[in-house]
Amino acid sequence: MNAWVRTSRLLLLALSAAVLYGCGERPPIVSVQHGYRGTGMEQNYNPRILASQAALHRAPAAAEPASADGPRAKEVYQNVKVLGDLSVGEFTRHMVSITQWVAPKEGCAYCHNVANFADDSLYTKIVARRMIQMTQHVNADWKPHVGETGVTCYTCHRGNPVPKEIWVAPTASRHSGGSLGDDAGQNRASKSVGYSSLPYDPFTPYLKQDKPIRVNGNDALVKTGAAANRQSTKQAEFTYGLMVHMSESLGVNCTYCHNTRSFQSWEQAPPQRATAYHGIRLARDLNNAYMEPLTSTFPPNRLGKTGDVAKVNCATCHQGANKPLYGAKMAKDYPELTKVSVVSTSP
Amino acid sequence: MTEYQNLFTTVQPTGPASAGIALPKGDSERIGTPWFWHLAGRLGNAQIGPIYLGGLGLASLVFGTLAFNIIGFNMLAMVDWNPLQLVRQLFWLALEPPPPSFGLSIPPLNQGGWWLITGFLLTISILLWWTRIYRRARQLGLGTHVAWAFAAAIWLYLVCGFFRPVLMGSWSEAVPFGIFPHLDWVSALSLRYGNLFYNPFHALSIVFLYGSVLLFAMHGATILAVSRYGGEREIEQIVDRGTASERAALFWRWTMGFNATMESVHRWAWWFAVLCPLVGGIGILLTGTVVDNWYLWSVKHHVVPSYPAVFPVVVDPALLGVKP
Amino acid sequence: MAMLSFERKYRVRGGTLIGGDLFDFWAGPFYVGFFGVTTAFFTLVGTAMILWGAASGPTWNLWQISIAPPDLSYGLRFAPMMQGGLWQIITVCALGAFVSWALREVEIARKLGMGLHVPVAFGFAIFAYFTLQVIRPVLMGAWGHAFPYGIYSHLDWVSNVAYQYLHFHYNPAHMIAASLFFATVLALSMHGGLVLSATNPKKGEVVKTPEHEDTFFRDVIGYSVGTLGIHRLGLFLALAAVWFAALCIVISGPFWTRGWPEWWGWWLNMPIWGH
Repeated sequence: MNAWVRTSRLLLLALSAAVLYGCGERPPIVSVQHGYRGTGMEQNYNPRILASQAALHRAPAAAEPASADGPRAKEVYQNVKVLGDLSVGEFTRHMVSITQWVAPKEGCAYCHNVANFADDSLYTKIVARRMIQMTQHVNADWKPHVGETGVTCYTCHRGNPVPKEIWVAPTASRHSGGSLGDDAGQNRASKSVGYSSLPYDPFTPYLKQDKPIRVNGNDALVKTGAAANRQSTKQAEFTYGLMVHMSESLGVNCTYCHNTRSFQSWEQAPPQRATAYHGIRLARDLNNAYMEPLTSTFPPNRLGKTGDVAKVNCATCHQGANKPLYGAKMAKDYPELTKVSVVSTSP
Repeated sequence: MTEYQNLFTTVQPTGPASAGIALPKGDSERIGTPWFWHLAGRLGNAQIGPIYLGGLGLASLVFGTLAFNIIGFNMLAMVDWNPLQLVRQLFWLALEPPPPSFGLSIPPLNQGGWWLITGFLLTISILLWWTRIYRRARQLGLGTHVAWAFAAAIWLYLVCGFFRPVLMGSWSEAVPFGIFPHLDWVSALSLRYGNLFYNPFHALSIVFLYGSVLLFAMHGATILAVSRYGGEREIEQIVDRGTASERAALFWRWTMGFNATMESVHRWAWWFAVLCPLVGGIGILLTGTVVDNWYLWSVKHHVVPSYPAVFPVVVDPALLGVKP
Repeated sequence: MAMLSFERKYRVRGGTLIGGDLFDFWAGPFYVGFFGVTTAFFTLVGTAMILWGAASGPTWNLWQISIAPPDLSYGLRFAPMMQGGLWQIITVCALGAFVSWALREVEIARKLGMGLHVPVAFGFAIFAYFTLQVIRPVLMGAWGHAFPYGIYSHLDWVSNVAYQYLHFHYNPAHMIAASLFFATVLALSMHGGLVLSATNPKKGEVVKTPEHEDTFFRDVIGYSVGTLGIHRLGLFLALAAVWFAALCIVISGPFWTRGWPEWWGWWLNMPIWGH
């Protein structure tokens, strides 16, 4: 074997080793089968990556239960509009928890004027009040998506005043007005679509507006007229972008909800697909009914570059887990969050 | 194994460069002084050049360079004229066809107009190059088989970029000029039309793709295996069968019961290679024009396998009149 | 006896790896050899298993027949016959048949005084199958990761495994492999076309020479790899394509569990790009 052959064999070995090492992960990995054997529907998890994310998905311990006895919060405190029917003990407990969930470092002063806890001078208090209502709405009216597990402020905020995973509308492509260089809303390595070159804003059309997501028809052959399937190949790219976001947000792959041989088929789909269907509508509902109306409440530094309010997408709650906080049932320890309060208008 | 396998040339004799077969009157002179690249000589010929550059070639290069530059400058503009970012984002950048709303009309430059111009210039360049290939063969008295093979590839290119978009009534159906973006297009086409694996022309095209790789491995290996008998001198072996061709043929006859000849193997090769884009182009052309959903088409034609149900029945929530 | 006109003088004894003269004979045009016997054995058993699997399935429709690997829960153990065990036996028979075929090609090549390039090249294809059905499942801890034996069902597997990585086209080894596949088709069309164009010139012309072949490609692109070179190049392109194909699937799962577009993060985040 001459030097040339020996060198090239060594080079090939080194190159292959570099490729394997450069991938950054290694066996063993954990696989969960999700469909009939041999169909390739499965989830793959790297235990080392899961371990590094474990702290993020750990739910904090619930506060000690408070007594339901005694006067109501609205009788003792001023300007309690949403949680007024709680006992003072329960109310205080809720305030302690919300501080821990949303502003642990900033404390009560993040939302309250500490000289007068009742006043609404800080925008954060207005927003927080609305957010409590939003949480109640999710838990009471969106059971098709959140089941009996529900959500709390911690699900999105995780100890941050502004949740880490929110979205705002992208600025218009810098060169869309000029003579060349328009990126047509895609072809950037965008985190929102998992670093692919798919359209980088799948959120505005599908999680704020209600543009049709489905691109497949029900006929084998092309039809004309009213029965025609008018979705384009380009629209499939937008749908694909949304789906990549959903996958990344939940830390799952496409086979979690689909048998990809026929994405559209509900007969072959795992039940998670129905849950995801409701999740999309949940995000739309929250963005339009709760976030959009708060736009003028937030100061400019909390808005996106086009002046729009921060909005929710799948990652806001899930943050990389198939069930937020791996399905920890936080809401059950805070019954005031599981039903919609009657808003009190008394001062 | 200490036997020499004839994979790399170990001793390269040097001599005067080959000026090539004389061209008939009317052709230009070849350009460039041929030189020798030792590394190339370890695999094949070491001689680089001369090259023929006639009117067709020159015109093709001009149109092609124009197209290349339009793509490149649009990409550069997209990254704010930052060359470092051009390199960093190169694989993600693209020149996109117009959005669906423009149909087949001429769009503004910056919303697909540049793409249309580029496609047009590139097509002219490719057709001119085809003519060059055809002409060079003719001028040397050769058959035109290489040109017609190239035509099959051009067929697929035109189907994807021109014929199908026109039949669909929308330039937006065409392929963007970009590395990852053209792969996004491939996925999007399959997603939109019900999984292209169930398109029988797509399947057949893949048969010819894998078959071509199989054939070249077989043929390349066979010739190398009989190179000790001069097997690579294929033209001479075709007109005057020698022991190389005989052993090569018998190897396959004894292995699989039938064989080709030194000439016919090149017909197998040509047809497998040509049928890949030819059949593939047909499959693309039918997608969206005749067939809207290849999976459902395959269900109709009884080729879709069934699997035992593993999940409880899931009903489409949209059918239940749930919150829209 | 179905022999070619020049065949008789080549039918000599010798070249065998195992068995000496015992199996050194032909059946019609086929050479038998010890490995012809083992090929026939594995093929017959494997085919019988496939037929058994089809019979216990819902259909005899050729396109719909599918024999699936075991559930992941069986890990790397033997599964009951009807729960994937059949698939396991078929896989053993397939590998047995493929390796036998390759070794038979070795015997035939030796008998004909040829180099062993063909069985070595076939070995790459066997390696790709072995990677898909053995190496990768073992690295991932279960036979159930392998593909089922069915014409359309194996494509369903490809689709689902690919989408496990969200957008498989972004797999860098897959990109290289696909490029090499298309480059091989290109080179094959050029080589087939070139040889045919020299030996089938315009009507009335004489057959051309290798000098014409070289001149054509030098005129067109400034370089001609030559008659020996094109066969080396074609073999390398084809084998490299198959090698990178095997590589691209073995890294998907054992060495990467996320979406493939995300892999490109290392490039996008290199410090040399500045901010």
